Amino acid sequence: MTESEKNLKSERIPPVISQSKISTEANQTGTWRFLRPGYDEKTAPCSAACPAGEDIGRIEMLAAKGDLDGAWETILGENPFPAVCGRVCFHPCEGVCNRGEFDSAIAIHGLERFIGDAGIRKKLSAPVPRHTKVSKRIAVAGAGPAGLSAAYFLARIGYGCDIFEAAPEPGGLLRWGIPQYRLPAAVLAAEIDRIESIGVKIHCNSPIHEGRLEGLQRDYDGLFVGCGEGRPIPLKIPGEELALDGLDFLRQMRQGKETCNGVRTAAVIGGGNTAIDVSRSLLRMGAKKVLLIYRRRREDMPAFAQEVELAIQEGVELVELRAPVRIERKDRDCRLILGPMRAEGTAQDGRARILPADGEEESLDVQSLYRAIGAEPAADWLRPSQKGDVERFSRSRIYYDQFPIIFGGDLTNPTKSVADAIGSGKEAAMLFDTLFAEGREAIHDRLQQCRVGQGKSLSMEMYLSGRRKTRNKEEVPFERINTEHFTKAPRQNTPLPGPAHVIGSFAETEKSFSEGAAQKEAERCFNCGICNDCDNCRLFCPEVSVNLSDPRTCEAAGLNRQIDYQYCKGCGICVVECPRDAMSLTEETTPL
Amino acid sequence: MKEVIEGSHAVSEAVRMARVQVMSAYPITPQTHIVEALSEYCADGRMEASFICVESEHSAMAACIGASSGGVRTFTASSSHGLALMHELLHWASAARLPIVMAEVNRALGPGWNIWMDQTDSLSQRDTGWIQLYCEDGQEVFDTTLQAFRLAETVNLPVMVVLDAFFLSHTYEPVDLPDQETADRFLPPFVPNIRLEHENPCAMSQMAPPGHYMEMRHAIQGAMETVFETFSEIEADFDAVFGRKYGMLEAVECEDAEVILVVTGTAASTCRQVVADLRKKGERIGMVKLKMFRPFPLEAIRETLGGARKIAVLDRNFSFGASGIFAQEIRAALCNHPGHPQVFGYIGGLGGRDITTDTLETIYRMTKESPEPARESVWVGLKEEE
Repeated sequence: MTESEKNLKSERIPPVISQSKISTEANQTGTWRFLRPGYDEKTAPCSAACPAGEDIGRIEMLAAKGDLDGAWETILGENPFPAVCGRVCFHPCEGVCNRGEFDSAIAIHGLERFIGDAGIRKKLSAPVPRHTKVSKRIAVAGAGPAGLSAAYFLARIGYGCDIFEAAPEPGGLLRWGIPQYRLPAAVLAAEIDRIESIGVKIHCNSPIHEGRLEGLQRDYDGLFVGCGEGRPIPLKIPGEELALDGLDFLRQMRQGKETCNGVRTAAVIGGGNTAIDVSRSLLRMGAKKVLLIYRRRREDMPAFAQEVELAIQEGVELVELRAPVRIERKDRDCRLILGPMRAEGTAQDGRARILPADGEEESLDVQSLYRAIGAEPAADWLRPSQKGDVERFSRSRIYYDQFPIIFGGDLTNPTKSVADAIGSGKEAAMLFDTLFAEGREAIHDRLQQCRVGQGKSLSMEMYLSGRRKTRNKEEVPFERINTEHFTKAPRQNTPLPGPAHVIGSFAETEKSFSEGAAQKEAERCFNCGICNDCDNCRLFCPEVSVNLSDPRTCEAAGLNRQIDYQYCKGCGICVVECPRDAMSLTEETTPL
Repeated sequence: MKEVIEGSHAVSEAVRMARVQVMSAYPITPQTHIVEALSEYCADGRMEASFICVESEHSAMAACIGASSGGVRTFTASSSHGLALMHELLHWASAARLPIVMAEVNRALGPGWNIWMDQTDSLSQRDTGWIQLYCEDGQEVFDTTLQAFRLAETVNLPVMVVLDAFFLSHTYEPVDLPDQETADRFLPPFVPNIRLEHENPCAMSQMAPPGHYMEMRHAIQGAMETVFETFSEIEADFDAVFGRKYGMLEAVECEDAEVILVVTGTAASTCRQVVADLRKKGERIGMVKLKMFRPFPLEAIRETLGGARKIAVLDRNFSFGASGIFAQEIRAALCNHPGHPQVFGYIGGLGGRDITTDTLETIYRMTKESPEPARESVWVGLKEEE
């Protein structure tokens, strides 16, 4: 010690301060708690709106992290057709997307296509069927989206499945009713191949008719009927035979048989998706002018609004409030006589009542004329009756018998879409399995357990007791998103070339995302209700009471973080700072 | 070697020679020049120190508390509103017994917005447990700052070195600056009594329940009471090295004085002139320059002023609803002193208004001619009502 250090004389006045050398662990602040925060994953509104019940929030979360394989497998858990649905689904998910209230909805549809295409490109294999094989076998009538989905989900549960298809190739409406420019044949083929790869057998040129039922009963334990509606509804006007059937036109076109040479003007009667597909196809085949004749108004059309918009952008001319009265032959052309209509009041289905209006009839000369006003089941036995021991479910109808038969797809679905058909096939698979494994009485509760949110969509992951089963069915409203943690970012849109590029070409119209755009778009997703490991709960916890889970146990718990309730004071900061409502605060009930 | 420098830079030079290790401050006029120079010393390597930039004075003091708890020599500077914003942490620094040194440039508080000399900012902090030393000129600023580190580190209390806005902070005067070796001879490296250590972890300044708190407060006062002796020892050491000393207070011509003027800061220089002039005219005037305000040098005050007849205290500050703060303290110090003198309180020079020789002479005459104080405070130099 130097002389001047001695001068400090610090030993003379020992400073008294409060000081603790023991760990603050002694102070178990958890005893103060009267509110208990906890991880409580909830349902994203998009997933509840998805007829196939896809876990969209999780899919986008994985895609944002660059785990495309994981995202793809997550879709495959609920839907065997990501690349198909990423092209043809009417995406009700985007309409309820919470991000829509913040800036604009996530491009879920485009992302699904991107992920589905990646699965095909990387030749990823479908989830393996359950280990325990079921001895029972199910026959499926129709290799459309409903039948293929029913077989896919039944095979995953462990059932043996044979599909019987009337046409020479599988796919149903996907194969014959949707033009190439919306759904290339190779994409469909790849997804059907994958279903076959898990053991589903498809027998083409093998229509099921009433006469075969007895034979099926001998070889199978149940039948799923998803034949769709193959018989066009007639116009019931004079000269009807001069109008060609729209669906038949699309089918011929897919077979390469249909041409449109020398057509100056074509007219299509109808307002559904088939009418739109026929109109857009005619334009691509060289028709100079395509008129879409509809007896109601544009807003009343059952066709998906986006498809209508694209058709009009491409040049289809919409003629509203005109009903066909008769069709006459005029030299080599057809003459279509149209009567004026008017809208009035509201009918039972919520649309305006359409009544004949005063005014002159108009006539229209066209070179070709198509009718696409809807279809109905091709045979009477396919019309699901209310009689007998029958029970209706959201997307299917079951006839209980020694030999149970479930009708699904367009035959029973209130909304006739591909995604609804997939949901219907999934519902049927659950119905068969629950019926055989637990009996008829268990069905209602079992389906309720597997509902996605409050809606009618079902989750196969929940059915198979996956992690998603623990998810709260409460749907996350926008108000529960902590938007402080998000910055506004423009929606990435899939490239759409202008009408000039589509005429004369059946190449796919809409392009896919680039990898960068897909990632950027997936990162915009709020991941409503789902923990994406953002770590806010741990970082904001003032008591250092949120810990990363032991990786050996986190798989079982399903989450990567846990709360140390010995020290958690229940301040609730973690719940408030969770950007996506994946946590909840409840009243403390456990006495400490 | 003498150099002509600003009062602000006298602080900066002392801090550099004190080999301060951590500084944190937020700029505010008229203090800015002090830390501006220091930040340059940090940037160009003339000081081996960390300068922590912060977004407020509250954070500046918090950073100093953290650094000082870590056992390094720590400095900050502030003024007026900045000091007011630090208030909560000033209490913390003293009760945590951290020897932080701060340069405080006396400036008025708004509104009306005013950047000039006024003592109310530092005097508002009188109960925070900081030692307060008021300086008269650039040399005293340099010397006191250097001494402040030794004082703070010896008694484990923070020290505020106070200087007048502009009259001192921005005025260039010759200041004798020692070489580093000489400064080191007076001020050794900091050996902390309290220090956070990795190898011996502890929680500092956590809860002190009723069974402990009072003793801790008593210990602070105990440390304050040792300051008088410690300060004298440090001054003696300083005098031995540099040949200068100031005292807790300085008495000029007080032995036979009829009226003693009590002044602080730069007004003391003006007052020295007034005393010299009036003494030549046969007036029995004396002066006390008060340097140490906290701890309040009670004994020295009683000894120096107890026998006088009349005392005139000049306050460049005011406690609203009461009187000038120095006058209050001196009255309180003398009230139990038998036959204590009359204390006349004068308020002047607020918000940067000049205290001239005329002002002080007026105060002297008013005091001399009044048989007793008419009121607690007489405001001098107020403009006539228009």
